[in-house]
Amino acid sequence: MTFRSFIAFAALTSAAAAEAPSFRNTIQPILTRYGCAMGACHGAAAGQGGFRLSLRGFDDEGDWISVTRSANGRRLTMEDPARSLFLLKAVKAVPHKGDKRFEVNSPEYKAIADWIAAGAPGPKASDPLIVALDVEPKQLVTKPGVTMSLKVTAKFSDGHSEDVTRWAKYNGVNASVATVDEHGVVKTTGRGETVISAWYLSRLAVSTLVVPSDAALDEPAFAQMKPRNFIDEQVLTKLRALNIPPSGRAEDHEFLRRAFLDTIGVLPSLEETRAFLADKVTDKRDRLIETLLQRPEFVDYWSHRWSDLLLVNGDKLMPQAMWSYYNWIRRNVAANTPWDVMVRDLLTATGSTLENGAGNFFILNDEPTKCAETISVAFLGTSIACAKCHNHPMEKWTNNEYFAFANMLSRVRTKNGAQADERVLFSAADGELVQPLTGKPQAPHPLDVTTAVSMTSTEDRRVPLAKWLTSTDNKLFQRAIVNRVWANFFGSGLVEAVDDLRVTNPASNEPLFAAACEHLVKQKFDLKALMRTILQSETYQRSSITLPENITDLRYGSHYVPRRLKAEILLDTVSQVTAAPTTFKIDKRNANKGTSESYPMGFRALQLPDSNIASYFLKSFGRADRVNTCECERTNEPSMAQALHISNGDTLNQKLAQKDNRLDALLASKLGNEKIVEEAYLIALARLPTEREITKTSAMLATAKPEDRRTTLEDIFWSLMGSKEFLFNH
Amino acid sequence: MFKFSGQGSITNCDGISRRDFLQAGALGAIGLTMPGFAKLKAEGKVDSKKSNKACIMIFNLGAPSQQDLWDMKPDAPSEIRGPFKPIRTKSNAFEISEILPLHAKIADKFSLVRSCYHTAAAVHDTGHQMMQTGRLFTGGVNTPHVGSALEFLQGRRSDLPAHVILPESMGPTGGNMPHGQDAGFLGKAYDPFVLNADPAVKDFKVPDLLPPKEIGEVRLERRRELRELVDSSVRNFEYSEQAKLMDSNFESAYRIMTSTQAREAFDLTKEPLKVRERYGMNRFGQSCLLARRLVERGVRFVTVNTFITVFGEITWDIHGSKPFTSIEGMRDIVAPMYDQGYSALIEDLFQRGMLDDTMVTCLAEFGRTPKINPAGGRDHWPNCWTVNFAGGGIKGGEVIGKSDDIGGYPTERPVAPKEIVATIYQALGIDLTTELPGPQGRPYPVVDFGTQAIKELFA
Repeated sequence: MTFRSFIAFAALTSAAAAEAPSFRNTIQPILTRYGCAMGACHGAAAGQGGFRLSLRGFDDEGDWISVTRSANGRRLTMEDPARSLFLLKAVKAVPHKGDKRFEVNSPEYKAIADWIAAGAPGPKASDPLIVALDVEPKQLVTKPGVTMSLKVTAKFSDGHSEDVTRWAKYNGVNASVATVDEHGVVKTTGRGETVISAWYLSRLAVSTLVVPSDAALDEPAFAQMKPRNFIDEQVLTKLRALNIPPSGRAEDHEFLRRAFLDTIGVLPSLEETRAFLADKVTDKRDRLIETLLQRPEFVDYWSHRWSDLLLVNGDKLMPQAMWSYYNWIRRNVAANTPWDVMVRDLLTATGSTLENGAGNFFILNDEPTKCAETISVAFLGTSIACAKCHNHPMEKWTNNEYFAFANMLSRVRTKNGAQADERVLFSAADGELVQPLTGKPQAPHPLDVTTAVSMTSTEDRRVPLAKWLTSTDNKLFQRAIVNRVWANFFGSGLVEAVDDLRVTNPASNEPLFAAACEHLVKQKFDLKALMRTILQSETYQRSSITLPENITDLRYGSHYVPRRLKAEILLDTVSQVTAAPTTFKIDKRNANKGTSESYPMGFRALQLPDSNIASYFLKSFGRADRVNTCECERTNEPSMAQALHISNGDTLNQKLAQKDNRLDALLASKLGNEKIVEEAYLIALARLPTEREITKTSAMLATAKPEDRRTTLEDIFWSLMGSKEFLFNH
Repeated sequence: MFKFSGQGSITNCDGISRRDFLQAGALGAIGLTMPGFAKLKAEGKVDSKKSNKACIMIFNLGAPSQQDLWDMKPDAPSEIRGPFKPIRTKSNAFEISEILPLHAKIADKFSLVRSCYHTAAAVHDTGHQMMQTGRLFTGGVNTPHVGSALEFLQGRRSDLPAHVILPESMGPTGGNMPHGQDAGFLGKAYDPFVLNADPAVKDFKVPDLLPPKEIGEVRLERRRELRELVDSSVRNFEYSEQAKLMDSNFESAYRIMTSTQAREAFDLTKEPLKVRERYGMNRFGQSCLLARRLVERGVRFVTVNTFITVFGEITWDIHGSKPFTSIEGMRDIVAPMYDQGYSALIEDLFQRGMLDDTMVTCLAEFGRTPKINPAGGRDHWPNCWTVNFAGGGIKGGEVIGKSDDIGGYPTERPVAPKEIVATIYQALGIDLTTELPGPQGRPYPVVDFGTQAIKELFA
């Protein structure tokens, strides 16, 4: 903002207030913009050098007292504002560890001086409050190497607007596309899409920048893409805008293996693969999708998925309670309970935790703030934890909102039940959570809602909470679950990092995200319906083979992105290929030692109710420990330990060597060498071997000495399971 | 190519050239092990004379209290000075807590920096980031751990990875997994090798280091050949970062499992029992011993995490209340274990003539509150704490910096985490202006421009 516009700004404020600059709306933004109220300086919890401000100025009253009254009021000199320590420090006229923040006679200097001269008035109830923040341009399609300025405008409750470009704080998401400096000047650096956020008085506004590829648009490639449903329509629109051509359709065998692994977590059997590849009907992919959605393994897969989310964990829950919690999830998955109903039932659970397994959610989250944080991450995909101590620095959540929300959960109580390990959950008629800043209970209300729930009513506060959470107006609730389901099929969410939904972390395709949410609402939160739509889309069925023009795209759906299978699925597929099931030992202390108790033989890793299983394999391949509600608990990153385990570890090697496994069956079957190799490939990779593969591999079997025949086949199977084609879904 | 005996044990691999390994892996995206080093050396950014320098970073997860250990305030009121008394040491420059008696005997070998501070939030993670990488992770930039940057800049000196973490990576200390333990923006190919085992257990071995007995040379070769056959049939993976990483991991795995040197390095049974006992027959002690064996055999950087978590384990995190630790827990369990392991390591390195080339630094994410809290413990305090350095060309027995009367703030020579990290880089022979390829390939100096090492430490 130029100096002239500052004058305009000053004139506007003074016209609005007709008096001194407002502490709330003029001084506080300056303290934040120039870093005084930041975490590294006086905004630290303990302040700095004896001077303490709230982080980014969320506590107007407290900060005003700090500036004007604390330290015996020595910070301000009313009769000569320029001699105020407050200003002398800021311009480093006296030693200041925080260095010079702005110049003498700069607009901010003058604003503060004017405010002091006017008697340093505090925040008033009548101060206009910020109601909206706006950034221009909101969206811009441009080229690399372009420099331009953003304009940020704040709207206030009294109807006036101010240009606050100079006082906003800026942040860029992806520096490889564009950078932003502290003045709101944006420079594009590369191609792609990014978002610049502007923060002012705890409000956020974002500007989206698109820098498309400058190659000629491959019109024929786009023209031949026939959208199957709204997903394809939106994805193609996006790809056109960014000028990224889509890859072709995946082959039948690729789609078959992919859909099995992503939907039910097992490989197609030999017979299923043969039948599918031979099937000539045109709608065979749709038929396969329907079958998968009805398979019993679907229940295993998704119960496991939601058990990760809800932290079913035998280290934290007694065995009976853990099973009751897990079985509650399983029943709901099996019945395909609409997601909103399932979450509502979970959050309003009462009674015995052994009879109503859902109640264990409150045993694991046994304290209002923890419970509020978990609900927020699990069902809104949003972390509010920062707001426990101060207004969320990067997001809109305030400290008051946090405690208002947590107070919705302050009356959940448990008592001992009739049996051992049984807890009985109920809602008490009283009890409040105190907001530490005021020492009083914060009037309870859900996030983003301003009307509080009655504090005197004895109704279970979780009922209005659950109602608000799952209402069709609650966009975050829809976005969170759509993003989780999307990530399951595409490797990353529409918003990357599935549980990190926030204004400053926008979706790769916002219209698509909105359309998918709308679709889910229209389908009454039927997750299977959403999965069907995804599976049927051409976007999901695209090949993982890239074109030179889309090789760098990992977010916009121009091709399927290969990814390592997750720990449990990998272990199960190894068992499936070798026909050698895994023994799972119950592990009380999660120390990977295990106790003598085991799950029944034949249990698959995806069927385990609990993460508390001794398994070096699952641990080194990155299973979730189910301690914190966070996607970050699970990792699918390859590591050297994994390569060593595949090579030398006891999982693959023991299963290959095990008596009466798949290999013995094949050797006993009297099939010819070529047929054996063919079956091995179909079983492990759901495809036929290439000419080269079958020639070389069957020759190895043919020339093996009789006593080496089995070990040769073991090595063939090992190489199949150690290949990237096996370890990855693609 | 690989030489295996009939029993599957490896008899000789040291003759194999790097090129052989690249071919053995026959995997894309390699050349990962000795990347920009030659170029940087040519530019004079790396002092090759120092490239045999190594560092052992003992990371004191949880964060020890400066007032109770190495920056005691005997004249302060009792709620500040705490229950312990200072004792004289072999250094004329400082006294140390009575709960570290073995430290006192080798105080001429290490120096204390009593004025370390940081200004970020008082949570474990910020300190983990800054003390291991030199930077706070803002704007989505994940700076690499010093050891990973070193692997990138100098490559490996042997079949062993250049950077090893013992015994495990740090687990969550609050919300997230702690950051700063891996290669960050350099890419996972430079991530450290994490042992993931307790070297103190009876039949300790590195998980899966060697092939099972029944898989000999011939079969290993056959498997490799067959796997290549499958992998070369599909071209869907060439571009995937995860797939490239899987390839380079298989390459590293082949290399380490066929190396006699690697097998030796991890074999603690080769140490006389007396030596093992001197280090302490516990996870920390044996990790220190293993660190020495690894450095002896060419590992450039070993991070020893004193603890893995602050929850439900007796650690330095002495909040006084459950699930954390009490001051008594520190006195009776943590300090004796630590005192024994650390002093054994320094003595051992010294006696073997390795101390001059091996910097041992003991870091933590912050200090602890000067005033004892109502639970009888001390809470997080990033405004002032003490770290120590030994070996690698630094002077022992010195004190750098000073804290105020209560150990609350530095009063002399405040030292920021980036200066600590700069000191480590310098000791390892890395010019502080050396640039790493940062996010999107932008040049990223190893430490912020202008950051200096703590010069007073160096002899």
